[in-house]
Amino acid sequence: MTLSVWSKINFRPDMPSPLDLTGRTILITGASSGLGKFACSYLSRLGARIAATGRDEARLAETMSELSGEGHSSFVRDLTPVDDLPSWLRTVVQTTGPLHGLVHSAGLVLTAPLKILTAEKLREVQTINVDAAVMLAKGFRQKGVAAQPASMVFMSSVAGMRGEPALAAYSATKGALIALSRSLGRELARENIRVNCISAGFVRTAMSEKMIAQMPPDSLDKLVSAHPLGLGTAEDVANAMAFLLSDASRWITGSNLVVDGGYTS
Amino acid sequence: MNRSEFLVLVDELLEQEPGAFQGPEQLADNGWDSLGVVGFIALAEEHFGVAIPPQKFLEVKTVNDLVGLVQDKLSA
Repeated sequence: MTLSVWSKINFRPDMPSPLDLTGRTILITGASSGLGKFACSYLSRLGARIAATGRDEARLAETMSELSGEGHSSFVRDLTPVDDLPSWLRTVVQTTGPLHGLVHSAGLVLTAPLKILTAEKLREVQTINVDAAVMLAKGFRQKGVAAQPASMVFMSSVAGMRGEPALAAYSATKGALIALSRSLGRELARENIRVNCISAGFVRTAMSEKMIAQMPPDSLDKLVSAHPLGLGTAEDVANAMAFLLSDASRWITGSNLVVDGGYTS
Repeated sequence: MNRSEFLVLVDELLEQEPGAFQGPEQLADNGWDSLGVVGFIALAEEHFGVAIPPQKFLEVKTVNDLVGLVQDKLSA
């Protein structure tokens, strides 16, 4: 992995990179796979100390082995039940110190037409994608948990902005994250905490590569052509995370940064 | 899960009364469409943990053909 975009920019010696995260501690959920895992590695290369959170101990250890720099920590836990996330965050900062950022990257994807959608499945997706985000925010704003200033980033999706069949439950949760960012952006501004979300388009990760491999050629062509700039990479999304976590976005809160190669344009 | 129990899931997917499908029914006559494919893939993943590639559905014509996609996962 290379920091291909930013490493090509020649900053003046007296001008640090606007995305420099040196000295910042960032907690990332969903850190044992996909975008969350990539983000841990990427943000650590920008100088951040990572607090990686995931359910799978072995895969989380793999994430930790790919980090640059020192001072990182990992926390194995399921985000459910969500009730105790605020008290759990208090214990996390005993290890990490105050958090400068939090990225809620954990999420469940559910593809199910209404015919087979059950209330149980709906609750499961809602709990991880939305309820956990709310309770993480509740915990993050506690005295001693968030540093000053601090930034939260929720991983939404273009599914929260544009309808697709069989994605009703997933789309509803991703749309909720966009609304949640707006509301919390206003509520937490007075506490010097910014809250934003990223609506990502189709990104090539290890998981989506499997999906791509199973697609009929015409479906893949349609998917690619729906993204005027082509399919995205994990790096494209991690760049947006870095921006929203850094001081480069210090005047941005309650926003939805669309990173989709033009899919929703 | 045996064949009969699985057929009830297909009944539900295509909004039939439980026990309606026996196997030879033509899917085209029973509201089978692209959402049916998506729903079937989701059912197979949830109940059997298998991801059926969409191209497998190109040759599917009957309920029995659907059963064939998960045959090795069904108990006797």
